[in-house]
Amino acid sequence: MNITQAVKMAAKSIAANKGRSALTMLGIIIGLAAVIILVSYAQGQNLAMERYYESIGTNKINIYASTWQGGVDVSRSLYDYCLTLDDLVMGVTPNSQVSAYPQPAVKYGAKALIGDSYETYPTIYMGSDQFGLCNNYTIAKGRDITHLEVDKGIQVCVLGAGTAEALFNQVDPVGKTITIGQYPFLVVGVYERKGSPVTDETDYTQISLNYMDRMILVPSSMNRIFNQNRAPDQFVVKAKDSKSTTEAITRITGFLKGIISSNYGSFSVTTDNTWQEQDNKANELQQRFLGGIAAISLLVGGIGIMNIMLVTVTERTREIGIRKAIGAERRSIIIQFLIEAAMICGIGGIFGIAAGYVGTLIVGKMSFDTILIPSPEITAGAFAISVALGIIFGLYPAAKASRLQPVEALRAE
Amino acid sequence: MLMEIRDLYKIYHEGMESEVRALDGVDLTIDRGEFVAIIGASGSGKSTLMNIMGCLDVPTYGEYILDGTSVTGLSDRKLAHIRNKEIGFIFQGYNLIPALNAYENVELPLIYQGVGMGQRQQRVMEALERVGMADRRRHRPSEMSGGQQQRVAIARAIATHPPIIMADEPTGALDSKTGRHVLEILHGLNQEGSTIILITHDNTIASTARRIVRISDGRITADGSREEVGL
Repeated sequence: MNITQAVKMAAKSIAANKGRSALTMLGIIIGLAAVIILVSYAQGQNLAMERYYESIGTNKINIYASTWQGGVDVSRSLYDYCLTLDDLVMGVTPNSQVSAYPQPAVKYGAKALIGDSYETYPTIYMGSDQFGLCNNYTIAKGRDITHLEVDKGIQVCVLGAGTAEALFNQVDPVGKTITIGQYPFLVVGVYERKGSPVTDETDYTQISLNYMDRMILVPSSMNRIFNQNRAPDQFVVKAKDSKSTTEAITRITGFLKGIISSNYGSFSVTTDNTWQEQDNKANELQQRFLGGIAAISLLVGGIGIMNIMLVTVTERTREIGIRKAIGAERRSIIIQFLIEAAMICGIGGIFGIAAGYVGTLIVGKMSFDTILIPSPEITAGAFAISVALGIIFGLYPAAKASRLQPVEALRAE
Repeated sequence: MLMEIRDLYKIYHEGMESEVRALDGVDLTIDRGEFVAIIGASGSGKSTLMNIMGCLDVPTYGEYILDGTSVTGLSDRKLAHIRNKEIGFIFQGYNLIPALNAYENVELPLIYQGVGMGQRQQRVMEALERVGMADRRRHRPSEMSGGQQQRVAIARAIATHPPIIMADEPTGALDSKTGRHVLEILHGLNQEGSTIILITHDNTIASTARRIVRISDGRITADGSREEVGL
C-alpha cells in the first residue's frame, strides 16, 4: 500500500467518523488557542509596560538640588557640567513646576482652565529647549521653545495635546496668545499626544499618559514671574542609554556633592530605570504564571484527545482485526492511523491557531488597545506539541491492536 | 496436497486449572479443489481450526503446511501476504468496515495487495456483479440487509481470486432463502476451482459438501462423505 492510498484511506476514515474527528479536533483547538492567547496576553502586558516607560522617557535621571538663597546657580553649573559629559548625556533641562497657590488661571479668550478644575488644569513646567527631548515629548505642530527664548525670558509656551484640546478644541493654537495668571504667552507649538481616550477607569497606564498630555511648557527663566523668582531645583538629565545612565548618575552625584557641600543645600539623583527593572521582574513572574496555565490547558487538551482515542479503541481494534484478516500488514495499519492522527491534529491545529489569533486580536484590542500578534515561536511550539500529543495518543491504540493476532482483534466487542 | 495439518494443538491457559484444549491433536489434509464442511457443536473447536488454517491465529503446538510452506513461525508480514493472496474469508458477522461503502470494502484487500487503480475497479465490479451487489456499491453496511452484507463480504473474499475460501458460519445469521443463495455462490466458486472450507453447525448445509469433517472436543471424530459421516 502506498502513501497516496494511506492518505485517501485516512481521509475517508476521518470523514466517516465526523463526531469523533470533531471532538478530537476540539481538544486541540481549545488547548492551542488557550496557549496562544494566554502567552500573547503576557507579552501584550510587557509591551504596554514598555510603551509606558517609553512615553515617560527612558534613561531619565531625575535630579533634585537646591542651595540656600544666594548660593551658586545650580541650573547653570549643571548645564555646563553636562556639556562635558556629552558621551553619556543627550540633554538636560530644569523641570520645575509652577507651584503658586492659588494656581494661576490659564485662559484663551473666554475659555479658562482654573486651578480647581481637576479634569483639565495643566501642569505648568518651566524648562529649557531640551525639555521635550528629556521628557520624551515631540512636537506635533509649530516648534519647541528655543535656547534664546529661555535666555532672554521671552513669554512663549508649548502646549501638551490635552491642554491644546481643552483650550482650543479644533482651532490651531500656534500663533495664538494665552494668558497664565495675568501674563500673556505666545503659543509656539503643540506636543504630540501620548495617551489615548480612556475607556477603562482602572487602566492606570492610560490615565497617567493622559495626565502627561495636560501640560504647558514655559521657559525656565519664567521663574522671574512665577515661584517668587526661586531658582529651579528640579532637573531632568537624559542619558544616551541604560548603561550611560548608571555612569552619568555616578558622575553627576560626585559633581553635585562637590558644589552643594560648599554651598549648604541638599540634592538627590534618581532614575526611573530602577522602577522599570522591578516592573520587568514582576512581569516576568506573571508571564511564567500564565505560561504555566497555558501548559495546563495544552495538557488538558491532550488528555481530551487521549480520552477520545481510548474510547474508540474497541471499535478501532475490530476494524484493525478486519484489515489484518484481509491481508493488511502491520506497517500499513500503522501508517494509516499515523496519517489519520496527523491529519486530525493538523486540521485541528490550524483551526486552533486561527482561534488563537482571533482571540489574541480581541484581547489585544480590549486589554491593551493595540493590535497584538502572537509570536511565531510560541505558535509553532504549541502547534508542534499538540500535534505530537494527538499523534502519540492516536497511534497508541492502533499500534497496540495491530500487534494482536487478527482473531483476537476481531473478537473485540 | 494444499493444506496439511499435523498433530495440531491450541491450548488456552496451559498448565493452569482453567486450561482449555480448543484443539487437541488434530491431523487433517485438504486437497486443491475440495469442498469441505467442518461441522461440530459450538465450542467443539471448529472455529479455532479454521482460524489457524486461515492464519488468523497461531497454534500452540503442531505443524501446518500450506501449499508446501510451513506456516508456523512465519513473520507477521508473510502471514499478512498469505491472508491477502491465498485466502478469502467470509465471517458469520460479515465483518465489513462500517465507515466504508460496499465498493470500498471490496476494494480494500486489492489496495493492500497493491493492485493499480484501473485493474482494481474492474475486479471490484466483477466481484460485486458476481454476488449481485453491483447496483448497491455506494451503500454503507448499515444501509444493507444481512444477506446483502454477506454478499458484499463474499465479494470482498473473492476479489483477489484466492485459491482458498474459508467461510465461518456464513449463513448463520441469514434466513434460509438468503442462506441458500450464499451457498449457491460458494458452490459456484468451487466449480471454478476454488477450494472451499465451510464451517457450520447446520447439517442441511453441511450435507451439500462432498467431504464432511466432524469435530468434537477438539478432535476429529469423523471424516468422509455424507454417508460415511452419517448425515
